[in-house]
Formats: sequence, C-alpha cells, structure tokens
Amino acid sequence: MTDAGIYVHVPFCITRCGYCDFNAYAGLDELKPRYLRALLGEAELAAPGWDGTPFVSVFLGGGTPTTMAPADLRALLVHLRDRFALADDAEISVEANPDTVDEASLRALRDAGYDRLSMGAQSFDPRVLASLERIHQPASVRTAFSAARAAGYDNVNLDLIYGTEGETLESWERTVRETISLAPEHVSAYALTIEPATALGRQVAAGDRPAPDPDVQAEMFTVACTLLGDAGYRHYEVSNWAKPGFECRHNLGYWERRPYVGLGAGAHAYRDDVRWWNVRPPDAYMERVEAGELPIGGSESLDPSDAYLEEVFLKLRILEGVPASWFEPERYEAFVESGLLDDDFGQLVPTERGMLLLNELVLGLTA
Amino acid sequence: MPTEISHIRNFCIVAHIDHGKSTLADRMLELTHTVDPRGMRAQYLDRMDLERERGITIKAQAVRLLHEGYELNLIDTPGHVDFTYEVSRSLAACEGAILLVDAAQGLEAQTLANFHLARDAGLTIVPVLNKIDLPAAEPEQRADELGKLLDRDPDEILRVSAKSGAGVTELLKTVIEQVPPPVGDAEAPLQALIFDSAFDTYRGVITYVRVQAGRLPSNAKIKMFATHVTSEAEETGVMAPEATPVDALGPGEVGYLVTGLKDVHQAKVGDTITLAGKAGAAEPLPGYREPKPMVWSGLFPADGSDYSDLREALDRLKLSDSALVYEPETSQALGFGFRVGFLGLLHMDIVRERLEREFDLELISTAPNVEFHVFKAGEETIVHNPAEMPPGGDYDRVEEPVVYATVITPSDYLGAVFELCQNRRGEQVDLEYLTPERVEVHYVLPLAEIVFDFFDQLKSRTRGYASLDYEPWGFQESKLVRVDVLLHGEPVDAFSSVIHRDKAYDYGKRMTERLKELIPRQLFDVAVQAAIGSKVIARETVKAKRKDVLAKCYGGDITRKRKLLETQKKGKERMRRVGKVDVPQDAFIQALRVDEKAKR
Repeated sequence: MTDAGIYVHVPFCITRCGYCDFNAYAGLDELKPRYLRALLGEAELAAPGWDGTPFVSVFLGGGTPTTMAPADLRALLVHLRDRFALADDAEISVEANPDTVDEASLRALRDAGYDRLSMGAQSFDPRVLASLERIHQPASVRTAFSAARAAGYDNVNLDLIYGTEGETLESWERTVRETISLAPEHVSAYALTIEPATALGRQVAAGDRPAPDPDVQAEMFTVACTLLGDAGYRHYEVSNWAKPGFECRHNLGYWERRPYVGLGAGAHAYRDDVRWWNVRPPDAYMERVEAGELPIGGSESLDPSDAYLEEVFLKLRILEGVPASWFEPERYEAFVESGLLDDDFGQLVPTERGMLLLNELVLGLTA
Repeated sequence: MPTEISHIRNFCIVAHIDHGKSTLADRMLELTHTVDPRGMRAQYLDRMDLERERGITIKAQAVRLLHEGYELNLIDTPGHVDFTYEVSRSLAACEGAILLVDAAQGLEAQTLANFHLARDAGLTIVPVLNKIDLPAAEPEQRADELGKLLDRDPDEILRVSAKSGAGVTELLKTVIEQVPPPVGDAEAPLQALIFDSAFDTYRGVITYVRVQAGRLPSNAKIKMFATHVTSEAEETGVMAPEATPVDALGPGEVGYLVTGLKDVHQAKVGDTITLAGKAGAAEPLPGYREPKPMVWSGLFPADGSDYSDLREALDRLKLSDSALVYEPETSQALGFGFRVGFLGLLHMDIVRERLEREFDLELISTAPNVEFHVFKAGEETIVHNPAEMPPGGDYDRVEEPVVYATVITPSDYLGAVFELCQNRRGEQVDLEYLTPERVEVHYVLPLAEIVFDFFDQLKSRTRGYASLDYEPWGFQESKLVRVDVLLHGEPVDAFSSVIHRDKAYDYGKRMTERLKELIPRQLFDVAVQAAIGSKVIARETVKAKRKDVLAKCYGGDITRKRKLLETQKKGKERMRRVGKVDVPQDAFIQALRVDEKAKR
C-alpha cells in the first residue's frame, strides 16, 4: 500500500485576512468543543474505509489550528493514532500564527507529538503585514520562533507572502534575509494571489486596489531562489524550500498523488483517482457527523485524461518532473531550447524560469 | 370591381428617421378603418423584427387605404442613404409625396435629398409639419423654412400630430385634392414597375408593383425585362394591409404579384414586368439600375467549422436581399470566409445582425472598405480587399469612390463641419443658407472617409444637430497606400488597410497600440508593427510573459486547478495562430471593431 496522509481542517481564526479564501471563520469560538467532537466522530466514521492503509503524515491546517487548546489537539492526535495506522515516525505538522502561541503552548504541542511547526510569518515588513491585514508584528515572529526552538521544535517552517501592494524588491529581499537569519528548516514563499471571493479580490475588481504585478512577483521569486539557494535550502517545489531531509512529507504526498484522508469542514480526500470533499460550512459539517454519517459534500472520479493532466501538472511542480517519453518531442523541444525545461536524462524538470511559467508548460506539453 | 383611375391616388411619405413616418402611416391605417383597432400594433407596416426594434423601414411597403370612395395607395419608402436607389423606385410608383418634417427638428439632409428625388421625379409635394404638440415644436420657423424651400405660403403648410392623430383626416383630404390621379392606358401592353421584392418561404418571390400601362391579371405568363426571365405568375393582389387577391391590377394601381419565381435576383427592384410573348410591351420603363455594392467587408465564422453554415446562411439571405453580393475569401489569420459587398454601412449592419440572430452565427468581420481601382501599365484592377492591393505602391495610380455629400447644420456649427470635412479630405462645392440659422453645404468626399466614423463625428461635433446625406459621385485619383500590420514579423492579412498616405501613420499607431493591449503575453517578446511595404511606420512590443504559475497547490486546490487548466486549454484551442503568435478571437473582434455603429 502506498503511504498515505491525514489532513485535518480547523476552520477557526482570530480575524479574517482580506486576501484569504480558505474555509476559515472568525468569531465562531464557541463552536470549538463541538467541532472537536465532530472531528473525533468523523475519524471514527472514516477510519474503516482506510483499514490497512499505512499513514506517514498528519497535517493540521486551517484556519488557525493553534486557536484550539493544546490539550484538545493532543486528544485529537491520540484519537487519530488510535483509529488510523499511523507510523511511529510519522511527520505530524501543525500550522500556527505567531500571536496564537507561546513557549508553554508550543511545548505542550511538541509533547503531544506535533513535531513539525509551520508558522505564518508572511513578512518582516510591517507595511506588508498591515496590507495583508495580519494582526502580528515582525517582532512576534522572532519571539514565536525562539519559543518554538525553546520548546524543542527542530523542524520549523516559515510561510512568506510576496508581491503585496507597496512591497518593494528591497523590502522582500530584507524579509528573505531575516527569514534565513532565523535558520528555519523549511521556507514556503507564496506569490500573493488575488482570489475573487475575498475582500481583497473585490477591491481589486472594483479598481480600489492594484492587482499584483506578475513581473515584479517574478523578480521576487528570483530573489527568493537565489538567497535561499545560497543559504543551503533546496528548492523542491514551486513555492517550497527546505534544508536537505526537511521536505514536507505530507505535502509531497499531494504532488506525488499519494492517497490522503481529509477530516473537518471542507477537507478533501483522495485515493486511486477518486477525490471527494466534505461540506464546507462548519455547522453543516458538524450536523452531518452528529447524525452519524460521513459529511461528504461532493466527489469526482478522474478519467484517464484527468489523471494524466494532474500527474503532469503536479509532478512538474516538484523536482521529480515527468518522463520525456510521455510526450512527442515537438511538444517539449522548444521549452528545453528556450531554457524553461531541463531534460535530465529523459526526465523533464522545470528550470527556475520554467517554474514561473508552469501553466504554459503544462498546456504546451499536454495540448 | 376595379377602381376608376380618377379615384386612385398613389403617394409616399418622405421623412427623416424619427420624424414620425411610421406613426403617421399607423394613424392613416386607423382613420381609414383599414386595420381594426384591436389588430393595430405600432409601426404596422414594418415587417421584420429587426426593423421594428431599430425603428427603421428597410423594405418598401405598399398598402391600400379606402377612403371616401378613393383608393389611396401609400407606398412606404426606406429612409436611409444606403437605399437611395430603392427610394427612387418607390417614388417612381407615386404621383405625390407627403414631405413630413418634425416641427421641433426641422429639415434634415436626408429629407432634403429625398425631397429633391421626389421633385425631380415630378411628384406633387404635400408638405406637413409633424409633432406640433411637442413642447419643443417651432411650427412657425419650420413652416417658414419649408415655405422657402417649396416657394409656398407658410400658412398653407399642414400641421399634424401623427401621435394623437390631430390633422391626419385633413391631410388625407389634401392628398386627394392635390395629388393628381395616375394616367395610364388600360389597353396598352403591360408595363409594371417592380418597386420592391421579397422572398416568401412558401410562395417564392413576391414583387410589389405599380402598373403604369395595361393590365396585370392573375395567373399571367410574365416576363422580366432586365433578367429576361419568364414565369407563370400565381396570384395578383393588394395589401389591405394583409394580402388580398384581386382578378387584375389596372393602370395606376399598386399591388403585389406572386411571381412563381424562386430566386429574388430574377425579379429586381426597378425592373419592368410585362406579359410574355407578343402581347408584351416592346420597351421597359426607364430608370432600372443594377444594385451596386459600395462597402465591402470580410465575414468569417468565429468558429472555423461554421464555414458551411455561413455559406448556407448567406445563400438564404441572398434569396430575399437582391443587393447582397459575396465571394469566398481565405484569410491566413481568420481562415475561410467571405468578402461581402453591401449597399452601405446600415445594410452591412443589418446583414451581419441577421446572420448572427437568425442563423445563430458568431462572426468576425474585418473593417469595412470601399472598392479601389488600381491602374498599372494601362491595366485596371478592381480591388475589394485591402490584402489584394499591391504592397509598397507598386502601381501607377489608384482611384477611390467619392460621394456628393449634403450636410445641413445649424450655422453655429458650420466651422466644426468645415473642419471635419477638411480632415476627411473633402472639397466644398457650395453652401446655402436655408434660414439665417440653418445652412446646407455640399462636399465631395471620399467614400472611404465616410465609411469610418464620419457620421458619429459629425453628430458629436454638432451636438447631434447636423444631418448627412450622400450619393455616389464616381471615382477620383488619390494617394492611397496599403498599411499592413505585422505580428512578430508576420503580416496579418485581416488587419491590412488601404488608406490615404497622410493618415497611414495615425492608422498604424492606433492599430499597434490597440493590439498591444489585446494580444496576451506570450513566452517571447512579440513585435507589433505597422508597415507600408517594407517600411515600418509604427511599433509596439508585447513583453514576454514571466509568470503564470499558481502559488499554492495543496490537497484542496488540485481539482480547481485542473479545471482551470482545462478551461485555459479550450481557450488556447480557440486561438488563431499568426506565425508563432497565439491571438484570441476576441482580439480580432476588438481590433476590427469600427468605432461607430452604422448611422440610422
């Protein structure tokens, strides 16, 4: 059996950020105990379907999982270990925002078994943080990071966002350098994407705020590649860098098309060319679980051409690339010549420039 | 029982668009009880949906009104410059014309042009001021204006409100009194003028005729002079206003004829119908002319696989539109399509709209152009497509069509009109003050200049007060050049344009700037150039795309991302390839969009 992952969605946040289109809500704090019970209940309902599947990772995402009490998160993990065949050395990640953790809570999480911490730093420029409507200050990132180290975390990721309104190339470079100076094991750097169904999306559509300039974002990407590369981070996915051995096993599962179970409101699951997902609204999700049924909101079966397309665009995101033998030479030769793809002994792997133009590559290869 | 010829009156209404012609016709239908009040609908005589929506009359219509023992045949005429010839044929079917003028707007160029046509055709003119109940009406001034034009006492000019019906009964009385009855010998060989024709799916070609001499019985064996076609006619009748069969149409009468023909090109407007064989007339009536397209445009299906549908649609439209001409055209950029000739911009608009609406086709049309006569080494070539023009000035001379344009404008805007006409290479012929406030000015202008946004410009520079009419005025030599547009070094034939040398740079600049915005960024820099022959006159660059990747792609994003890619894939498949450059459909549509809509 292929190694599988468990994703758990926690939809609670202290505030809602203008750019974020995740299934996350502020002000639903009183739902937390009931939501936790629903998660445990869903695990109960879902586990028989995954009998015999070895699990190698858990990822607690959100929302902001650390808005829930460490004791609750501990109970959750205990329950998951009880219901699923989770390997002893499984990677157990939890997302956190700097202002929702301190050394004590992090120590509690670490002791509970959460051994990888992914922190939403976003930027070290206070103007960028304000523009993103993040509630924390650059100093809180440093504080939270030290707390994580003190609590025993030796696998920490920092999330960064670049290309926000008013961010200069210089400011971004400073953010990357500050990040490197903290020496996390893993860095995710995302170009700000405007999602239509967000406050920011509506402001951009109305012309009240500028859309990010893709050329500037391309420059920023190059800066990140250079600085992180020089600092010993391996660029292993479009937006992800890691010190050797610290690549996120759970996320690699998505790109390698390994199976995953999704627990929580709106969570997606995948196995053998079938994908399904839970209902999105937390109350609907909880009601379904409380009624003793799997809270599935929809599903799709990938036909061979869907599966092929996913295989190509996901594998191109990571260093693994795709076999050249899958394509007619005229589909990729021009990309290799123009330096967007490397032909690495029959494996087509995007170059740094190619990663930025992945859409064109996929469309050109699979046309 | 045919009406005594002395009790027949044939008349039309000459009016500018929106001056109330169709409304007046509606009131006449009601007052004469030709249409039951319950069956009445606005603009009763305008058949096609398109006409009713646009408020314009494309096809002439004839309707018989019976009033106080008289047979009144109202022949409705098209009111647009594209259809001057059709108007002239309708006028030839009449003895009188109501000159209908909006009491607020006053005389317009089109009215004046059609008035001149009517007067030249020897028609008795009955001037009428309409919309006298409008607050903005200035009946006294307008009556003075009309009085001066017609050399009549302004007090004699009738005033009506077609909307309320006020004065319409009196108008009918005046028509009966002033318009002379037709003259014609019932015993002479048949001469019937076709002033309109239409195609009916079930009955074939139906012509609207005015009998000048002789009798046109039902079921006659008929002959068309211009096309030499003979046919067994199936039915003769009158529009009252619905088709009503009669035994025969006598001299002076107006009605319809179901010809038994299946192709509208065999029964052309302006042609004369007579009886086949020895009983037929020796000579046709004067004034027939072949319809001549003035404006050309390439029409291409947005989806290349619709080509045969487009051909079928054009073939079907042609059955009912004798002025429509087309020939197959192949464009490197747009694929297979047709170069279509139109009487004018309105005609072009109507045809395009009908193709899209009635035949559900999505079209890309090239910018309209006129016909050019290219002379080289004593040989003359007629060019309907800018792409066929020899590039780089490889010819002795080029001639382009010019028109004789009439502009009527408030004198305050005379300067603006001068400036516009001068900009458009016009030469002033003369100028006349209709009243101290209103001026009629004549220009000879290249048709190509009018085909673009002339009318819009005229309207905007005169706050909508000036009006325009024009008629063909032959050809004249001009310094024309072909401007090509190149993408990444490849000429795009659909964007080639023949243009006056002095305007080539502006055109090149405008097109390259426009295309720069419309062409999506590619994986390489795309040069957008305008050139005359090998000489580049304008250039823009579409910078290479650098980033299109989605930043995040985790478990919950994959389905959405795949669907996005599939959508983009379909979009790419719909793009046209020019050399190495992918150009979306929409870029062609937007770049070729004329900055104006056809004038009304």
